[in-house]
Amino acid sequence: MSMLNEIDTEFDDRNIFKQREEEIEIKIEDLSMVYQDKNGGEPVTALKNVNLEIKEGEFISLLGPSGCGKTTLLRIIADLLQPSSGKVTVRGQSPREIRLQKKYGIVFQNPVLYDWRTVRRNVCMPMELLGMKKQDRTSRVTEMLDLVGLTNFGTHYPYELSGGMQQRVGIARALAINPEILLMDEPFSALDEFTREKLHEDLLEIWTKTKKTVVFVTHNISEAVFLSDKVVVLSPHPGRVSAVIDIDIPRPRNMESKQSKQFYDYITKIRNSFEGV
Amino acid sequence: MISRKEKYKVNLVWAIGIFIAWELVAFFLEQVMHDPMAGAKLPYPHSVIISIAENFTDLMSAAGLTFSRAVFGFALGAAIGFVLAIIMSLSKIAEKISLPYLIISQMIPVLGLAPIIFTLVRDMNTSRIVIAAYITFFPVSVNMLSGLNSVESDKKELLYSYAAKKKSIYYKLMIPYSMPYLFAGLKIAAPMSITASILVDMLGSSGGIGVKLLYSLYSGTKDVFWGSVVTSALMGILSYFIVILFEKICMPWRKQTT
Repeated sequence: MSMLNEIDTEFDDRNIFKQREEEIEIKIEDLSMVYQDKNGGEPVTALKNVNLEIKEGEFISLLGPSGCGKTTLLRIIADLLQPSSGKVTVRGQSPREIRLQKKYGIVFQNPVLYDWRTVRRNVCMPMELLGMKKQDRTSRVTEMLDLVGLTNFGTHYPYELSGGMQQRVGIARALAINPEILLMDEPFSALDEFTREKLHEDLLEIWTKTKKTVVFVTHNISEAVFLSDKVVVLSPHPGRVSAVIDIDIPRPRNMESKQSKQFYDYITKIRNSFEGV
Repeated sequence: MISRKEKYKVNLVWAIGIFIAWELVAFFLEQVMHDPMAGAKLPYPHSVIISIAENFTDLMSAAGLTFSRAVFGFALGAAIGFVLAIIMSLSKIAEKISLPYLIISQMIPVLGLAPIIFTLVRDMNTSRIVIAAYITFFPVSVNMLSGLNSVESDKKELLYSYAAKKKSIYYKLMIPYSMPYLFAGLKIAAPMSITASILVDMLGSSGGIGVKLLYSLYSGTKDVFWGSVVTSALMGILSYFIVILFEKICMPWRKQTT
């Protein structure tokens, strides 16, 4: 098995970029997740027979109402949860191996900043864990803060920032160690509409610059359509994939894209896919 | 929110108010009630201040002796409490084994324990330090442990997602997160360690503020007695504010709420 893997990677390296682009980054096969009730009640099926393929460099959204298992799915990919059955492969490896190689960047629903660290040191934290040299860390932090538009806030403590700014710090931190895959769990759901729209545009800009594979969990249809290459619609009880919709709105997308007919057609299409659920 | 300047005014008004009220009550006791023990029950505050001034070097050297041993014991106890909390948070078994006994240890009255410690170590200074440490470690340990146990799971998950080692998890998350809890414990323990140190003085030490208290009480030198009481109280208050000062230095990230 290990021999095969080695040959695979060698072969990959010889591939030209075009072919790599079409490569499957994350493969989810027949995945199920059942939560056992500790008090002896009925077990809850959070995910049932989910199959999904995510390509390298793709921005995909997991969209659905509460209880559809979208966060569960993200957490399984992140190796924060173990599935009951089925398999997730990331670049031919298990989520655990990818996590141990520190190739994930996660942005949580709450920014999850460390209150006792300044903005700079929050962004710096993953690099410390990676054992990067101090001067490399310093320049990288500056670069990241520029990227998320917080250049002048490095010495602030989290409590001095607004919710939107805190979430920007969370994004900067996730990108700091240049992860292969960016996992975002409803990162903007606690923000007001204006801040959220601004962050949508900024996130797309950052994504264009960094070309990460992004898995983005949301319950907001227009957010999913605006951001994604592909929207995976999940429906609850039990959580399953009910539709996968490619979004062909041309990039770069901006506020005008949000007013196009195409945009509304996609929203209607996705909304209809929820009908009868 | 009141400004710093207003806070000073409030404190000043309180201090003056208490001083005047005390003077009035002392006057009432002596002149209206004609209580022969008025001087012992409640002397005039100005006479207490005068006696402190008169016996200043004496009181300060005694207070210094007691205070320095208390600080030693406090630091030792805080360190032990801190380490115990870390051990208990690292191992649930260690917590299950030790926590009940830690609680029982605090049920032994210090008044009873102090002579035992003294007969064991046969040294006044060591006894002071041991008793102060004994009093300190418990609130520090319990508070610190509750801090370590209340770290939010998403904060831990962040480190987990970077495959952080246990050591990093403690250095980068658990310990800094628990600092406010640690300081809550230290704030409780600081005046207690002073009290413990004074108590040990009373067991037959040759110096210390506790000795001053005891001798002046028996010999009927009321002014020195009250001077010692006030000095002891000030030591307790001082210890509390030293902890607060350290807290402010160590935790600049906390919103200044007071």
